[in-house]
Amino acid sequence: MNVLRAVLWKDLLAEWRSRDRAPAMVVFALLTVVVLRFSQPAGTPAGDALAAPGLLWVAYVFAAVLGMNRGFAQELENEALSGLALAPVDRGWIYLGKALSNLLLLALAQLSTAVFFAVVFDVDLAGVAAPFLGVALLGAVGLTAAGTLFAGIAVRTRFREVMLPLLLFPLLVPLLVPCVQATAGLLRDGSLPEGALELLAVYDGVFLIASFLLFEYVLDE
Amino acid sequence: MTGWAIEARGLEKRFGPLRALGALDLSVPGGSALAVVGPNGAGKSTLLRLLAGLARPTAGTLQVGPPQRDRRRRRAGVGYLGHASLLYPALTARENLTFAGRLYGLPAPEARAAELLARHGLEAFADRRAGEFSRGMAQRVAIARALVHEPALVLLDEPFTGLDPDAADALAGRLAELRQAARTLVLVTHELARAADFADRVVVLRRGRLEVDVARGDGDTAGFAATLRAALGRPGGAP
Repeated sequence: MNVLRAVLWKDLLAEWRSRDRAPAMVVFALLTVVVLRFSQPAGTPAGDALAAPGLLWVAYVFAAVLGMNRGFAQELENEALSGLALAPVDRGWIYLGKALSNLLLLALAQLSTAVFFAVVFDVDLAGVAAPFLGVALLGAVGLTAAGTLFAGIAVRTRFREVMLPLLLFPLLVPLLVPCVQATAGLLRDGSLPEGALELLAVYDGVFLIASFLLFEYVLDE
Repeated sequence: MTGWAIEARGLEKRFGPLRALGALDLSVPGGSALAVVGPNGAGKSTLLRLLAGLARPTAGTLQVGPPQRDRRRRRAGVGYLGHASLLYPALTARENLTFAGRLYGLPAPEARAAELLARHGLEAFADRRAGEFSRGMAQRVAIARALVHEPALVLLDEPFTGLDPDAADALAGRLAELRQAARTLVLVTHELARAADFADRVVVLRRGRLEVDVARGDGDTAGFAATLRAALGRPGGAP
């Protein structure tokens, strides 16, 4: 637990000083929302509930991948990753520390993007704020749980920027389907599809536990 | 804490078709100081990474410290300085050392960081970010980082690189202290004189193979250096 706190402290302090990730994630997500809004055919109602939820999650996934890639890339500078690998700790705690820092930054990007999205797409997120935040949080936990593990795997590969989405996107399908369906339900009539939250919770739990155990081998050469 | 012994038998490391280290047999008693010298590409840094546990051997066996199944306990006994500093540029020297102390589970990492900063003459730079340091300054902080947990086995890859004469002398003094404390030291260097000064045994690697193995014996440093040069067939130069 101390290692989790240490890694989280280090990541957030480094981010506060360098502002390397959060601004890029937020700007990238906002730009994605703008581009997707203008990509819709002329005459499409602003609050088109069919397309909007999917587009929002596209922006979230892009921002998450960008942030997680950069989160591990900073460990390559001065070979700091070797410093983590040498630590005499259960490496699962290092994973959780990095995942939590990724989650906090993604949550920041999600929050700002959601507000912007509601304005641009003219949808009422305020009326379903509480359940929407729940879905967004569960989705973010799943994104960072899987993404942090695969960012750790991809970071030492030659094409790490491409490798992370290649490895990650297929595994995100079971997460994104309930995320999009739940968001669509909330925007349509304020209801959540049956079992969506449970499915998200199971996905999060499975990836958190599996990644905690597997991260021991991820840091090996 | 006494220094850890090293026992390597048929140790080999390949990177694809390239053999970086081949069939190396090496025994290093606990508490001794070994210098590894050799030209570029000889496999010195690869050997150090294997000893640190940062790389796995392709073949052969390697025992570092007492036999133990728990890899965490092995990592706890090793202090490593590689070519890179392992420092986070956005963090200050103090924060980097404190973070390292936390990773090693020290009870008071802030106090240990302050102690190391004072001991290595880094107090004036303690609150400057590592990204602003010169090569020599970063090297000094990196050396302090490698010793943050008082390891039983200290692995240093070219630790004198970038240091000014005063800092180099201070490091030599620190290494002497570690030797007195019976830590095992393994130093990779290109400088034969430094190796003769520091070690009680010098091995020379060439193309991944152990070519020369000379022990100090009872002789003084000058005699040891002369023996080394004779063994290498180089009257005054580096290997």
